[in-house]
Amino acid sequence: MSSESSKKRKPKVIRSDGAPAEGKRNRSDTEQEGKYYSEEAEVDLRDPGRDYELYKYTCQELQRLMAEIQDLKSRGGKDVAIEIEERRIQSCVHFMTLKKLNRLAHIRLKKGRDQTHEAKQKVDAYHLQLQNLLYEVMHLQKEITKCLEFKSKHEEIDLVSLEEFYKEAPPDISKAEVTMGDPHQQTLARLDWELEQRKRLAEKYRECLSNKEKILKEIEVKKEYLSSLQPRLNSIMQASLPVQEYLFMPFDQAHKQYETARHLPPPLYVLFVQATAYGQACDKTLSVAIEGSVDEAKALFKPPDDSQDDESDSDAEEEQTTKRRRPTLGVQLDDKRKEMLKRHPLSVMVDLKCKDESVLHLTFYYLMNLNILTVKAKVTTATELITPISAGDLLSPDSVLSCLYPGDHGKKTPNPANQYQFDKVGILTLRDYVLDLGHPYLWVQKLGGLHFPKETSLPSHSSLGAHHMETTMKLLKTRVQSRLALHKQFASLEHGIVPVTSDCQYLFPAKVVSRLVKWVTVAHEDYMELHFTKDIVEAGLAGDTNLYYMALIERGTAKLQAAVVLNPGYSSIPPIFQLCLNWKGEKTNSNDDNIRAMESEVNVCYKELCGPRPGHQLLTNQLQRLCVLLDVYLETESHDDSVEGPKEFPQEKMCLRLFRGPSRMKPFKYNHPQGFFSHR
Amino acid sequence: MERPAPVAVPLGQAEVFQALQRLHMTVFSQSVSPCGKFLAAGNNYGQIAIFSLSAALSSEAKEESKKPVVTFQAHDGPVYSMVSTDRHLLSAGDGEVKAWLWAEILKKGCKEMWRRQPPYRTSLEVPEINALLLVPKENSLILAGGDCQLHTMDLETGTFTRALRGHTDYIHCLALRERSPEVLSGGEDGAVRLWDLRTAKEAQTIEVYKHEECSRPHNGRWIGCLATDSDWMVCGGGPALTLWHLRSSTPTTIFPIRAPQKHVTFYQDLILSAGQGHCINHWQLSGELKAQVPGSSPGLLSLSLNQQPAAPECKVLTAAGNSCRVDVFTNLGYRAFSLSF
Repeated sequence: MSSESSKKRKPKVIRSDGAPAEGKRNRSDTEQEGKYYSEEAEVDLRDPGRDYELYKYTCQELQRLMAEIQDLKSRGGKDVAIEIEERRIQSCVHFMTLKKLNRLAHIRLKKGRDQTHEAKQKVDAYHLQLQNLLYEVMHLQKEITKCLEFKSKHEEIDLVSLEEFYKEAPPDISKAEVTMGDPHQQTLARLDWELEQRKRLAEKYRECLSNKEKILKEIEVKKEYLSSLQPRLNSIMQASLPVQEYLFMPFDQAHKQYETARHLPPPLYVLFVQATAYGQACDKTLSVAIEGSVDEAKALFKPPDDSQDDESDSDAEEEQTTKRRRPTLGVQLDDKRKEMLKRHPLSVMVDLKCKDESVLHLTFYYLMNLNILTVKAKVTTATELITPISAGDLLSPDSVLSCLYPGDHGKKTPNPANQYQFDKVGILTLRDYVLDLGHPYLWVQKLGGLHFPKETSLPSHSSLGAHHMETTMKLLKTRVQSRLALHKQFASLEHGIVPVTSDCQYLFPAKVVSRLVKWVTVAHEDYMELHFTKDIVEAGLAGDTNLYYMALIERGTAKLQAAVVLNPGYSSIPPIFQLCLNWKGEKTNSNDDNIRAMESEVNVCYKELCGPRPGHQLLTNQLQRLCVLLDVYLETESHDDSVEGPKEFPQEKMCLRLFRGPSRMKPFKYNHPQGFFSHR
Repeated sequence: MERPAPVAVPLGQAEVFQALQRLHMTVFSQSVSPCGKFLAAGNNYGQIAIFSLSAALSSEAKEESKKPVVTFQAHDGPVYSMVSTDRHLLSAGDGEVKAWLWAEILKKGCKEMWRRQPPYRTSLEVPEINALLLVPKENSLILAGGDCQLHTMDLETGTFTRALRGHTDYIHCLALRERSPEVLSGGEDGAVRLWDLRTAKEAQTIEVYKHEECSRPHNGRWIGCLATDSDWMVCGGGPALTLWHLRSSTPTTIFPIRAPQKHVTFYQDLILSAGQGHCINHWQLSGELKAQVPGSSPGLLSLSLNQQPAAPECKVLTAAGNSCRVDVFTNLGYRAFSLSF
């Protein structure tokens, strides 16, 4: 390439520089052959720096020669032409030098380029190699990782543990000698064993399925048999009814009752079950029955779609009616009230028979919206009772069960949530409705399993389950009997006779002169207004659940008024007496210590007056004792010497001492059988 | 005035019985401890309650401070009379006198140190002991009550040294005349008798009911209370409350109060008396009624002045009677509060 270019250049040089260049051309041709080889080598030999200097010098010479030629040409003359010729030859030589230098430069350049190119190619080759290798490395790495990450499906299977495997697997699979050492073999063996086991289990499974099918078929057959049995049994039962009645085993009746019981609301159901159980186990005199209409009870539980349809129908109807006649707000409220206080159509009736043939009929109702149980009570006796005037409240359904447990007056609803319901419909308290609906006593709620949080933190009487039923029944019986006893006693008291039974006669002396003249009921407000009852009222013993009476005992001119507080819990809670004596002035417990002592004799020392169990004689014994005390009081009154005349009441009672102690107490204690009076 | 009806708490049998007991309780006697901080009160059920006066009078007193610190059954019958020596509380009621150690009395289950019964004549009924009197000079105790005699008991040996007879009916009250050791006793028979302790004989007898000015036959002739201030004596009961000059045995002043008085005492220049009616009467020696301070019980049976030098902050007058409450008067003019059983 370099030779071609120099050849090309050379003709250019020849053409441009005519004759002077020819001589050089020959020389350069020959030289060229030798220089071609030697020019290449010459390049290596010559120093570029010196060539550069030569170039600069040559250029300078040329410039100088040109300048001289110029000068000569401008001067003109003959010799000038020769000098100019000389100088022209010199400059041609210089031009040749320049050309050589130029060639050398080109050659140098080409060499340099060639070298660079080679080097570059080498580098490229290496680079390629490197890339190839790297690529391969990467590929191999990927492969390696893939291999390493490879999870064989066999690892997902839960194999049995090694110990089990060795224990259970038969030796031809486990091949212990081989597998112990080689984990790969071991895994293979385990997989084999797994496969074995699975095959066996699949077999078993198929067998069981087929068994099941068989058994199901058998069941079907038997069911059909049983269903064909049902009508036959019914007919047998019907036929056996007369036999049952004859043998006094009313299974059918009980069965029917259990059927109806299924429709009872839960609290009544609990009550029913408990009462029946108690009646069967402990108390044969208790009988339980369910009253009311079962159909209505069933109607309460209609499916919602039907009732919605009904509702929409009834709404449509109601709309029509409202157009015709608008019910007043009051009537609407009234309806809402009635709705709130609605009773469940079924009720449980419990009859308690007492020893003297009197029966306590209890009817338990469930108020659905208020979620409380109420009870209505009625007492019937074997013989018709003539109610004395003062005994009006004793057996009245309203109050006969009041305060069975202390404080349980049954006038307020025990469910605190009801208060909010009442506010919505304007009911102030349940008290107004108890006559109609029954009393919501706390013990009734407990019998039905309903528990409500108490409003005040009073200590609750423990009443759990079975014990509660028993205690309540016993209390009910004692209540009825004590009320009936009082009933009889009141009849006699109203006639002025204190009926003391023969087994209590020993508490009193044979001769009692003071007589009971009056026995009447007193209203609660009137009792509170009496001036001599203030202590009892202040001590909180005169609540509105008690019954109040006034007794009048007379002897001669002396009149003793006794105000009696009868607690519904008679006779375990004694009646409380407050006295006022009118004889030579008015004496009460605030101005006469002996009246106070008399009150203490009947109020505090009542336990000796209870008489034989169950203690129904307490009230009459207390009244008799009051008569005796009045006798003692009047007879032992010290005679006033200044007044003329004998004592109004001569002393007939035998007393050891008339006065004792700093408060000069009279001898109020009667000693039996000696029959004298002494002090406590 | 309309009384608001109190809320009736649902009461079981036990609560009703307790309430009735409290209503019918009578506190017969009181006694202050030698340290002056405690007050013992005895009631008609035979119980003694110890109240802490210092706790009830302190500024942080709560309702519980007005309840007894401890209550125990001391006697079978009522506790009619109590006195305190410097170490013991002596209580007497149904025929016996028992001694309790003040230092031990606050512990539960306290037992009596000793009990003595004076030799009684009758055996039919055990007579009660209505009054106890300490004679510091002789270190002896005088008991008087139902058997119409005064018995003297030596406190060191416990033997009964003398029995003074003379009353025809049971004895209500005793008083001591310090100077000449003489004991005055007043009884149901209407006579106040002076006994000389050295000669053990009756020195003087005043039959109060025989004096027209003071006798009130419609009340009876019994002498319920006695107090003496060396030359002077005041007594009351059935007859009117009268101040007597002892040497001349004449009634000098008659206090115009109709209700029979059950307790009387001299205090500074006043005479304090209490009885039927709920007031404590403050009399001047001239017979004028200075003040009538109402208490909380309808009738009062016992007054007690806490003049123990060891506890001047507990210097109060306490009154008890026909209720379960003991009224505390810090200033004699009004009732501050009541302690209650």
